[in-house]
Amino acid sequence: MCASLVVLILWLLSILFQRGVYPADDFHMVKKYGQTVLVTQDLALENYLEKILAQMNKWLLTGSVTQIVLAIISKDSRTTMERWVFDINVVQQPAIDAPAPAKPESEIQAEIRNILKQIVSTVTFLPVIDEPTVFNILAYTSESADIPANEWVDTDPLAIEAGKSQQVKLRSFSTDVHRIEAMVAYRYEG
Amino acid sequence: MAFQPKTPSRHRSRSEAKTPLTPSLLTGLNAISFASPTKAGGKGSDLTNPFFTNNVNASRSSSPVKRASGSINVSDSLQKQANTADAANRDEAGSEEVEVATNMDDVAANLDMMSLNTQSSSPGHTARLAAATGVPLNRRILSYHEAPPPSASDSMLSQQRELVRPLYGRPGALPTSTSTSTKTRKISTQPERVLDAPGIVDDFYLNLLSWSCQNVLAVALAESSYVWKADTGEVTQLGEAPEGTYISAVDFANDGNFLGVGVGTGEVELWDVETQKKLRTMTGHSSQVACLSWNQHVLSSGCGDGSIWHHDVRVAKHKVGELLGHQGEVCGLKWRSDGELLASGGNDNVVNVWDGRIGDVGAAGSRGAARWTKRNHTAAVKAVAWCPWQPSLLASGGGTNDATVHIWNTTTGARLHSLTTPSQVTSIQWSPHRKEFLTTHGFPTNALMIHAYPSMERVVEIRDAHDSRVLWSTLSPAGDVVCTGAGDENLKFWRVWEVPKVKKGKEVKEAGRGSTSSNILSIR
Repeated sequence: MCASLVVLILWLLSILFQRGVYPADDFHMVKKYGQTVLVTQDLALENYLEKILAQMNKWLLTGSVTQIVLAIISKDSRTTMERWVFDINVVQQPAIDAPAPAKPESEIQAEIRNILKQIVSTVTFLPVIDEPTVFNILAYTSESADIPANEWVDTDPLAIEAGKSQQVKLRSFSTDVHRIEAMVAYRYEG
Repeated sequence: MAFQPKTPSRHRSRSEAKTPLTPSLLTGLNAISFASPTKAGGKGSDLTNPFFTNNVNASRSSSPVKRASGSINVSDSLQKQANTADAANRDEAGSEEVEVATNMDDVAANLDMMSLNTQSSSPGHTARLAAATGVPLNRRILSYHEAPPPSASDSMLSQQRELVRPLYGRPGALPTSTSTSTKTRKISTQPERVLDAPGIVDDFYLNLLSWSCQNVLAVALAESSYVWKADTGEVTQLGEAPEGTYISAVDFANDGNFLGVGVGTGEVELWDVETQKKLRTMTGHSSQVACLSWNQHVLSSGCGDGSIWHHDVRVAKHKVGELLGHQGEVCGLKWRSDGELLASGGNDNVVNVWDGRIGDVGAAGSRGAARWTKRNHTAAVKAVAWCPWQPSLLASGGGTNDATVHIWNTTTGARLHSLTTPSQVTSIQWSPHRKEFLTTHGFPTNALMIHAYPSMERVVEIRDAHDSRVLWSTLSPAGDVVCTGAGDENLKFWRVWEVPKVKKGKEVKEAGRGSTSSNILSIR
């Protein structure tokens, strides 16, 4: 699996946990990458993410995905509450099989740690979400990307209106192949 | 239809297959054309998000220059207005266009979030638009065709879990005391020895352990009493309670030759430890005798009805005194070693201290009144203990709701210290050699704690000393080992204190025991 995908998984899971999209009961802590990370216990969610991430993996390796968005949507009103944007920049043209990241393990682990720490800290400035929410993962791909029919469909960007959105840039993460820049946009009126 | 020729050519080219459109259908198409066909039915966002409604369509399907001509149809109403060919209405339509144009900034800001439907307009126009807005064209926004699964966990269940969490929670372990006394010694948090006590009754109110000055431990397992000789490890069954009842209390006489046994029906028995014979049965109590305490030849018994009787075991008419001062069951009873004072704790949350002088045998009104009564505890007082090195000190500990240890000066009746602990106090033992005392605790910590006196600093806490609440404790005659019993049917021996070093090696224990017993003798 692509190293950046591993980070993405951690990123997504910890957002889903921190933002309360799924109840805390659905997660449990696992020692991994030299720290405790969250793993979902919900089999359905795990399968769902697995399917999505398998495709992401292919896209990441071919460099055809430019942005991945985790949108947190109000369950009832279907308005987008938060948009976690991961810009994926290809540093170099990747080979078909993933090249092992030459970055030292410890450095990557430190980066992962910092990223997860930052997500925890975002809770302090993000508005509290009281209503039940669902999430949606969007992939911004190039036109030429190989898209499995009937599985991935063109969709609405689930954007937050420009006037009601606040944006905060988060830490970036980079491997030899990708550089992922993270950003969160959230609905803020007032 | 009349307006059909007025529809701009762009629209006709986009929907060639459906040329004869009614106005309402056309607007419907306008509304949904932006979303993908598969999503169109379910997508609410097109309607709720103002930027993805008609305005957006207008901005996408026409260039600003073209729209400035004023002949663009944007909405149903506009179309109708256009159809009337009224000049005034045209002006109105124009103003609507201006509004759309002012919204362009917002729309442009959102444009990069959107995909461009390149099929629906001419490639040249799309390219121009892309160049003007700086949006790359070769981009698609995709999402997985399934919606993410809802959480499988029951929200009701998780809410209930949330509610009961405090019950499972345990107070955080306090940092160990940093006083120098703790640094100089290490207290083992593991028991020195574990004995099996099958069938021991898991009842807070009973007192089923006693350690004599002859280094013999008595323990009551349901209806049988056993003695375990600490020196040899030899176990003997001493006797059994009468049919249909159980032993509720055991206590060794001060010389260690006799064992007082209280039973559930209210009898108090006297057993000879050496010959393992029952010497006598003293009847009279109406309910369970849960605590016993010896003062020379007087065995005091605390009863379930709240009365405390003094039995003189030497005489036939054994009842020599009655102390009435508890409304609830007497669950803690301790004579001071000099026999001057008797302390009792009850299920009515009261601590009483009684004058130890007993009236003449047979005197009708030999009923004592408590020297003083304390009602500070808010739960049953089972743990009472006299300080061996400062006779006026009495420690008492309350049950679950209270979990507090109070230290009293029995001369003045003043409360000297109070200590709040994490859980119910089931027993207290003072160290004969150190200015410390040990408390045993019930759920949830099931702990043994040693506190310094008078600082009340915690010296050590052994959490989960037993698998269930620690109910009883007794101190070895040498004063170094504490035996605890619990509902988990184990007796555990903890070497928590040392005997001051008199001799080295194996003789230390002997010497320590000798000195303790000689202390007792000298006090008498």
